[in-house]
Amino acid sequence: MLPGRIGAVFNIPGVRIMSAPHTDTQISPPRRALWHDGSLALAACGVTTLIATPLREILDQANIIMLFLLTVLLVAVRLGRQAAIIASLASVLLFDVFFVPPRFSLSVDNVQYLITFAVMLAVSLITTELTTGLKRQAEEARRRGTQDRALYDLARQLADVMEEAEARKRVQAFARKHVSAELLFLSAAGHGDTASVAPFHVETPLAKMALLSGKTIYGSVLSEPGFATFYVPMPGDPDGILACMLPADRRDPPAPDEVALIEALASLVAGARARIVAMRTAQHNEIEAATERLRASILSALSHDLRTPLTVLAGLADTLSIAPVAAAPAPTWVQETAAEIRTQTQRLIDLMSKLLDMARLYAGSIRLHREWQPLEEVVGSSLQLLGSALAQHKVDVVLPPDLPLLRFDAVLMERVLCNLLENAAKYAPTGSTIVLSAEESDEDVIIRVRDAGPGFALKGKEDVFALFVRAEPPVYASATPGVGMGLAICRAIVQAHGGTIAIETSEKPGGCVRFTLPKGVPPLLEDEAPLADEVTR
Amino acid sequence: MNAPAATATILLIEDEQQIRRYVRAVIEAEGATVIEAETLRLGLRMAGEAHPDLVVLDLGLPDGDGQTFINDLRHWSDTPILVLSARTLEREKIAALDAGADDYLSKPFGAGELRARLRALLRRWRSHNETPPPQVCFGTIEVDFSRRLVQKNGVVVSLTPLEYRLLAALVAQPGKVLTQRTLLRKVWGPSHVESGHYLRVYVGKLRQKLEDDPTRPRFFQTETGIGYRFCHEESMC
Repeated sequence: MLPGRIGAVFNIPGVRIMSAPHTDTQISPPRRALWHDGSLALAACGVTTLIATPLREILDQANIIMLFLLTVLLVAVRLGRQAAIIASLASVLLFDVFFVPPRFSLSVDNVQYLITFAVMLAVSLITTELTTGLKRQAEEARRRGTQDRALYDLARQLADVMEEAEARKRVQAFARKHVSAELLFLSAAGHGDTASVAPFHVETPLAKMALLSGKTIYGSVLSEPGFATFYVPMPGDPDGILACMLPADRRDPPAPDEVALIEALASLVAGARARIVAMRTAQHNEIEAATERLRASILSALSHDLRTPLTVLAGLADTLSIAPVAAAPAPTWVQETAAEIRTQTQRLIDLMSKLLDMARLYAGSIRLHREWQPLEEVVGSSLQLLGSALAQHKVDVVLPPDLPLLRFDAVLMERVLCNLLENAAKYAPTGSTIVLSAEESDEDVIIRVRDAGPGFALKGKEDVFALFVRAEPPVYASATPGVGMGLAICRAIVQAHGGTIAIETSEKPGGCVRFTLPKGVPPLLEDEAPLADEVTR
Repeated sequence: MNAPAATATILLIEDEQQIRRYVRAVIEAEGATVIEAETLRLGLRMAGEAHPDLVVLDLGLPDGDGQTFINDLRHWSDTPILVLSARTLEREKIAALDAGADDYLSKPFGAGELRARLRALLRRWRSHNETPPPQVCFGTIEVDFSRRLVQKNGVVVSLTPLEYRLLAALVAQPGKVLTQRTLLRKVWGPSHVESGHYLRVYVGKLRQKLEDDPTRPRFFQTETGIGYRFCHEESMC
C-alpha cells in the first residue's frame, strides 16, 4: 500500500514535534540480565542450605523441604519467574545432595525420594507460576489503576482547557507517558497549520477509511515500522482522525484495552473541542447581545434627552409669535427674534437627527423596511419636508413617466434626497436651479442631483463621502454650516440598498451627485376591469 | 375665531413638564381648555370623568404602553386621539393609528403643525354626526359624489373605479392621516392589506390626474412611512 504524503490530502493541526522515545515507564518490568537473577536465586538456595545443615538432626526432612519451598516462593516474589525456576531446580538438587542420605551424592538410597523430588519440583514450579502470575496481575492492576486515575485527572483538566491545541497537547503527553504511544491529530477539512515535522507516517487511505466507516482501522501488518499502528475517527467531528503509533519495537499487535484507551482519548479531545466551541459561541452571542442592548439604550436615552428640550425650544419660539386670543400681537423685534430662535432651533434639530442617524447606521445593521413604490412619491415628500430650505432656489424635477417601481425604504430614501438637496442648496448661488433627475439603465435607475454651485474639489473626491469631511475648504464669510455628515449618511443608506453613490464630473459646471438603485423585478399590477369610462361621466 | 377649538376641552397626557407647558400654551391660544395628566392611569381616569373633546397622548410615557391606553379608551369612547411620538419610531405611530388613534405628531414639532392638527381633529368631531357633504371643492377640483363627477378646471376627469374609491376615501377625512392599512382595507378590501405598492401606484395616478404638479402634491400628501393625508386648505397640513 502506497503511503500517503502528509499534507497532500490532510492538513494536520497541532502537529507534534519529533519526540525522543521515553524509557522511564514501560509496560514490562525492567529486564535485568538473567545471570544476575539466577546467581541471586542460587545464592538464596545456598543460604537456606547453610541454615538447614546444622539443624538437620533436629528438623524433620519434611520441614527442610518446606524451607526450600519457602525460599523458592520468596525468590519467585522477588526475582521473577526464571530465577524461581532455577531456584526450584537448585533446591531439589541441594536437598538431594545435602539432606538425603547418602550425603554429598546425587544418588538416593530410598527410591521414594524420587517421588519426593518430583513433587517438590512440581510444587516449586506451580508456586512459581502462581506467584509470578499473581505478581503480574497485581502489577497490571496497579498500572491500570494509575492509568485510570491519570485518565480521570486528564478528563478533569480537559474540562478547564480553553484552547483545542492545549487539549491535544495534554492528550498526546498522556499517551506518551502511559502507553508509550505517539498520537497525531489529522483533519480532512484542510484547516489548521501546515504539517511541519511529524513523528510518523500516515497511510491516507486507511485514515480515510476510518473516517468513512466510523470505526478504528488498523495499519497494515506488512507496513514497515514508522507507520501508524491504527487510526481512530474522532467522535462528533466529521473531519477528524486520530492516528496512533505504538512503540516501534513492539512485535505484538495492539491489545484491545490499549486501543480502547486511545479511543477514550479521542473522545476526550472531541468532547473538549465541542465544549470550547460551544463556550466561544455562547460568549460571542452574549457579547453581541450586550453590545446591542447597550447601543439601543444609549440611542434611545440620547434621542429622548435631546428631543425634549428641542421640542420645547422650537415650540416656545413658535408661541412667541402666536398672540394669545385676547392679547395684542407682539412687537416686530420680538417676532423677528422669535423667528431667528426658531430657525436656529431647527438647525439644532437637523443636526441632532443626523447624529442619531449616523449612530444608528454606523453602529449596527440598518433594518430596511423596503417596499415597491414609485420614485416620484419620495421626491415629492422630500421637497415638502425641506420646504423653506429650498426657498432660495428653483428645483427642477425630471422623472421619466415610465420609470419602474423601485424597492426601497421610503423613510431612509427621503433622508438621502433631503441631504443631497440641502447640500445643493447650501453651495449653489441664490436663485440658481437645482436639478433632480432620474434615468433608467439596464440594471439600475440612476438618480442625479445637480446644482450650479462651485462643485466638489477634484482632489479627494473619494473622501467626500467619509464621515466629517466637507467637500471644500470652509468659507467663513458665507455661513454655510454643516458638519459633513450628510454625504456619509447618504452613502450608508444607498449602499444598504445595494446601490452605488459617487460624485459625477462633467463638462457642465457645478456639483453633481449620482446614485443608483437596483431595479429588480417589480410586482405586476392587475389591470382593472375596463369599465373606466363608465365610472365617471 | 377658531370655531372648532373654542369651548373644547382637551386632555393632555404627557410626562415632561416643559412639553406640557408648551402644548398648553398653544391650546389655550386657540381658546380651548386643557386638563393635564402625567401618567396613563391618571389619564384614563380623567378621560372617563371629564369626557374631553380631544386627547393628546404622548407615546413615550414611563408607566405604560400608549397602545393599551388607546385600546382601553376605544372600548367606550370615540374621542379623537392625537399621539406624540419620537420622529423615527414609525412602527409605533402606525400601530397607534391602526389601534384607533386619529393623527400623530413627530417630536420635535412646531406650534403651527400642532395647531393644524388640533383644528382638523376638532372640526371632524363637531361634524361627526353630520353626513359628509356631497360636493367637495379644493383648488381647481370639484367632486360631486352624488353624480360621481370629477372636474378639474371645469374639464371632466375620468377615473377608474379604484381611483374613484381611493379619492372618496381620502376626501372623506380631510386633514387626518390615513394609514396604508386603512386605505387598502377601504379601497381594496381586507385581504389586500399587505399590497402597499398598489396604494402607492394609485395615489400616484390620482396625483397625475388631479394635481397641478404631481411631483409636488398639494392636496394628496405623503406621510412617509405611515400613509397619506388629504389637505384641502393650506392651514390643514
